[in-house]
Amino acid sequence: MTLQNAARRAAALLVLALGVAGCGGGASSPSGTQTDARPRLVTLDDLKDKRIGVQIGSVYDLYATTNFPDATILQYPSFMEVTLAVSAGKIDAGLSDSDTLAEIIRTNPDLVVFGEPFMQSPVAAGFRKSDRALRDEFNAFLREIRANGVWQDMSDRWMVQLQRAMPPLPPSTGENGTLVVGTSSGGFPFGAVRDNELVGFDIELALRFGAATGRAVRFADQEFSGLIAAIVSGKIDVIIATMFDTEERRKQIDFSEAYYTQDSLAYTHRANTVPGGSVADAEARGSFIERVTESFRNNILLERRYLLIWNGLKVTAIISVLATLFGTLLGALVCYMRMSPLAVLNVPARIYISVLRGVPVLVLLLLMFYVVFASVNIDPVIAAVLAFGMNFAAYVSEMFRTGIHSIDRGQWEAGVAMGFTRAQTFVHIILPQMVQRILPVYKGEFISLVKMTSIVGYIAVQDLTKAGDIIRSRTFDPFFPLIMIAVLYFLIAWLLMQGLDHLERVTDPKYRRRKAVAR
Amino acid sequence: MIRVERLSKSFGSVSVLKDISTEIRKGEVVSIIGPSGAGKSTFLRCLNMLDTPTSGSVIIDGVDVTARRSEITKVRQRMNMVFQSFNLFAHLTVLENLTLAPVRLRGMSRAAAAEKAHDLLRMVGLAEKASSFPDELSGGQKQRVAIARCLAMDPEIVLFDEPTSALDPTMVSEVLTVIRRLAKDGMTMAIVTHEMDFARDVSSRVFYMDQGTIYEEGTPQQVFEQPQRERTRAFIHRIRSLTRQVTSVDYDLYALNADIEQFCEKHFLAPSVTHDLQLLLEELLTLHKPLLDPFVVDLSIAYSEKSGRVELIVETADPGVDPLDETAGDDDLQVRIIKGMSETIAHKREGGRSRFEIAIRTS
Repeated sequence: MTLQNAARRAAALLVLALGVAGCGGGASSPSGTQTDARPRLVTLDDLKDKRIGVQIGSVYDLYATTNFPDATILQYPSFMEVTLAVSAGKIDAGLSDSDTLAEIIRTNPDLVVFGEPFMQSPVAAGFRKSDRALRDEFNAFLREIRANGVWQDMSDRWMVQLQRAMPPLPPSTGENGTLVVGTSSGGFPFGAVRDNELVGFDIELALRFGAATGRAVRFADQEFSGLIAAIVSGKIDVIIATMFDTEERRKQIDFSEAYYTQDSLAYTHRANTVPGGSVADAEARGSFIERVTESFRNNILLERRYLLIWNGLKVTAIISVLATLFGTLLGALVCYMRMSPLAVLNVPARIYISVLRGVPVLVLLLLMFYVVFASVNIDPVIAAVLAFGMNFAAYVSEMFRTGIHSIDRGQWEAGVAMGFTRAQTFVHIILPQMVQRILPVYKGEFISLVKMTSIVGYIAVQDLTKAGDIIRSRTFDPFFPLIMIAVLYFLIAWLLMQGLDHLERVTDPKYRRRKAVAR
Repeated sequence: MIRVERLSKSFGSVSVLKDISTEIRKGEVVSIIGPSGAGKSTFLRCLNMLDTPTSGSVIIDGVDVTARRSEITKVRQRMNMVFQSFNLFAHLTVLENLTLAPVRLRGMSRAAAAEKAHDLLRMVGLAEKASSFPDELSGGQKQRVAIARCLAMDPEIVLFDEPTSALDPTMVSEVLTVIRRLAKDGMTMAIVTHEMDFARDVSSRVFYMDQGTIYEEGTPQQVFEQPQRERTRAFIHRIRSLTRQVTSVDYDLYALNADIEQFCEKHFLAPSVTHDLQLLLEELLTLHKPLLDPFVVDLSIAYSEKSGRVELIVETADPGVDPLDETAGDDDLQVRIIKGMSETIAHKREGGRSRFEIAIRTS
């Protein structure tokens, strides 16, 4: 298969996938499907036996479990997922903060609020319990901006005027070091990604705090549920993520004074609130091509979202390639130890292999980041490379061992009998034959590593998957970003595979000769 | 050139080589023959330390390689080996198989090594296969390449470990011809082989190995024409034998008959011979029954491939009388049967033992 042919085939696949995305978009609206069976939601009490979606680790998680014991509570990793589930009719209602919800409803006319606000909560910044000084500084800063009108101005711009861009901010001198701010971009008005930059009320607040105290601000944008673990283990210094100050959380962290107050509301699909409700809207949204084009514009071009994808792509590729290199070297070492007749070498290697193969790689990743490197300020990308590399090493070391065993003992003997040392025999005679034999399996392992990296979002790395999530959190298009990410993963895997295929060809001794003959 | 002193080798509790001392001088071609399991290959592999001796020493050109392990790689560069299973490097072409060691170990330039490799390939008749891969060659061609690969390092000694045993019979001679030529050129060689005719005319000395020792050694004439010791003789004359011991009057006749049948089939003896042997043995055992207490009979059947002679040997403690003595009693008929089936019967009574050697009619 020539490269051109292969590229053409891949392009055809891409088009097909986009087509599926377009169709999916049309089918996403729950309107017109079994309208009579729809739940009627008017007051909060109507939720008691329904399916309720909440963001994991949020106050709603606890609230729903306590107040609606008979309801089915479904936990989603982010507010965006909850909203998508409500839109798609997978759940009957979601619970959320008033201002965040207001933004969603504005862009998503299918969703409506019902019932009364059921809770009012103070929004505050979170600090490590041992970090009193920082909390006091933040409180002083809050009082100051409330006094001098800056807070009022921020509140007006983000919440009332619905501005979507950051104002000019005073720069930070950075003389007092760096402040790592944990946030979870759940959408406007608090925190969202626009033009490949974090913007929003929370973000502005953090930047202003940094400027006021002479600290450079670095954001760690991650899963909401992991924020408290991150601050406790010292990965971040402060949480500014629209987090409610609750009794539960106070057991683990300290809160500043409230910098905002949020009402809590329940929302649902419009069809669930009107009798016999059905809205015939989606079908009138234009032709298939128009819908695909519109999705493409929304998800990729608007707000330069392609930058987000491009950066995610780079991160995914970097982690994959570095983890493969590191894992291969480590795997070679483990293989050497495993094959040693000395117990001091082979026993640790056996343990390493069975433990690493027995632990899910996500758990390994979290352990690596939050436990092993808890007290070290390590770039999460490096932690990811180490975790994936270690996992990869456990698998490839056994692969190497099988490869070496598969080579006839006579090859060793012939080399040694000629006067090569064992090391020279390995390099010149065994290794080339082994590489050729294990490459097919090695390729498979490599591809699965590439796909495995999609979980790095858990430690606040913005890879391709995370980029897709961020886009989904803005566009609320459930399909297009997912399909696009799937296609991109396929393309990366395919491209990297071409590289390995090439390696496989050049290590095939007969290839060289065929090439010579063809010339 | 190679001196072996009190060399022993055991694998676990199995002793394979027992206290061997010998010497191979420069320019000698030594063939090592003997039954399988005699330790021939192990002996050869101890010379270049592919197998590490349990005790004793191997001294090559004054260097005791068993004591000074660091020297062994240097020594091996001058003492190459040809294997039964060829062991060509599968990922390299024929030419690269020949140039790898000279380039990597001798620091020879690729061009010079390739030129030399071509010369060697021409010598073994495979110059046109230079760019082939090992799996594209026949067994005989592979082994000739392996020999050329050995020679590429200009060795002073070449060890051959059953170089033709893995070959199709039609390809044996092409390999042997190449080895003969090396012998003519004065190369020092040690060859483990099963090709007796080859060993006879290529060697300057022959080791007959049996049960972990060099049981007999000498010039090919001595070993092949006048072997001095019994096992050597049996091996050279290709005497095949079956030995059993009967230890009870209630012995298992059917098992014994089955063994005889199997032995005869294996050596393509006529069914009549099988039948005669079985009948003869039964009669002989019956004849001995009243005479022996305890009843212990050692019997063996020997067949010489060269002379075609089949012999039944029955040995017991001396019963005090000759069981075949016709005057002994009512067993007259049995004695007649035995005598009728035999070509010759020899009976010896000495040292408290009685021994019958009965030759069977085979034609």
